[in-house]
Amino acid sequence: MVELPSPCPPLEGKELWLQVDRQDQAMTNATDTARSEITLSARFESAIPARVNTDAHLVWRGRHLNTRCLIQIGKTTFLLRIVAGRVEERRTPLPLMASWDFAIRGSASAWHALWQAPPPPGWHDLFALSKRGEMRLEGDLHPLLAHLQYFKDVLSLPRTGAES
Amino acid sequence: MSRALIEPMVGRYMRMPILGEECRVYFEEAGQGIPLVCLHTAGADSRQFRHMLCDEEITDRFRVLAFDMPWHGKSYPPQGWQEREYRLTTERYVASILAFCDALELDRPVVMGCSIGGRIVLQLAHAHGGRFRALIGLEAADFQAPWYDADWLHRADVHGGEVCAALISGLIAPQSPALYRHETLWQYMQSGPGVFKGDLYFYRVDADLRGKLGDIDTARCPLYLLTGEYDFSCTAEDTLRTAAGIPGTKVTIMEEIGHFPMSENPEQFRSYLLPVLEEIRAG
Repeated sequence: MVELPSPCPPLEGKELWLQVDRQDQAMTNATDTARSEITLSARFESAIPARVNTDAHLVWRGRHLNTRCLIQIGKTTFLLRIVAGRVEERRTPLPLMASWDFAIRGSASAWHALWQAPPPPGWHDLFALSKRGEMRLEGDLHPLLAHLQYFKDVLSLPRTGAES
Repeated sequence: MSRALIEPMVGRYMRMPILGEECRVYFEEAGQGIPLVCLHTAGADSRQFRHMLCDEEITDRFRVLAFDMPWHGKSYPPQGWQEREYRLTTERYVASILAFCDALELDRPVVMGCSIGGRIVLQLAHAHGGRFRALIGLEAADFQAPWYDADWLHRADVHGGEVCAALISGLIAPQSPALYRHETLWQYMQSGPGVFKGDLYFYRVDADLRGKLGDIDTARCPLYLLTGEYDFSCTAEDTLRTAAGIPGTKVTIMEEIGHFPMSENPEQFRSYLLPVLEEIRAG
């Protein structure tokens, strides 16, 4: 049985202004989040694929990896096509009827924290973030787990250059 | 390095029965004084304590001993291992530690264990406290929530060493020196197939100690718990909750350290460990 919320009494005076303040704050937070996602996405795009494909040892470590994966930063999604360890394609927004092997979906807060230098405790690893509910690993996880350190290293590339 | 350097620790093999099976156990030791037995983490080996074995501030006062559990490091599994899945149980773990201490006739040693070694230290405090001078649990808690499916650790289509190391890499603090980070990962890369997973059977299934530690007498056997702030497997909250249920436990949360203090950042760790050892020695 679901408990229905009781109807709110009409607000007056100070309570009304507090409500308006809260709405303003909520709008501000939403705007900040959107700005944050744009910034985070730009950092992601500046690092990937360029800094993967120019790192010969990283590509070598992924030489047996061929996969399509979805990376989500807040509400922004990227589709990566990886061939023999090289990121051959990065698409956003997603093409029609896009398909992928697995997805890594993180909140903007998750990526923001992960890409700090150093990242704060409990926000410093994909699994730390998934344990705290800020990140989800979905789909066929075999390509991810078989090349886990490769993906951890690729997805930490946007950290480089972050201010301490 | 301009010239060769021989480190002070000595490694030897010892044959001893554990649960009725003959085991050939490798151990290293250095120093003299109060015996200090060190227990490595799941899926790793005694190399994790190499820095302590070379630390004169410790070995001047303690006889530091670190052994590879059967199945780990240079200790073989007992005969017939190939016929069964390896699963570490509380019974086997306690028997291994007591057998090692008895075989070397150690007089009321201090035992310090990390991760699964930290968990078993709690069990030792609970069931065998009178045998030890003091107990130190690193990254220790009565229970911690799992954060991945352990089946990934042992399957034919994923390299066990690679996936074990990659999973635990996040448990190392970002501040830990690259040299020691990658030595720690190398330990996991070298573990035998299914050994890390078998150790986690103890950790996740067999040794949930919640509600079972109320009778620990820390006046008889002092208990110290030290946990790194970057350990999201055994979190600071897990250790603090555990300590809150054991009156007299002394807790330290270590900054810029993860799940492998002695191995990933020995300099940072010793700044927390030395005062504990001094208190034990003086006590």
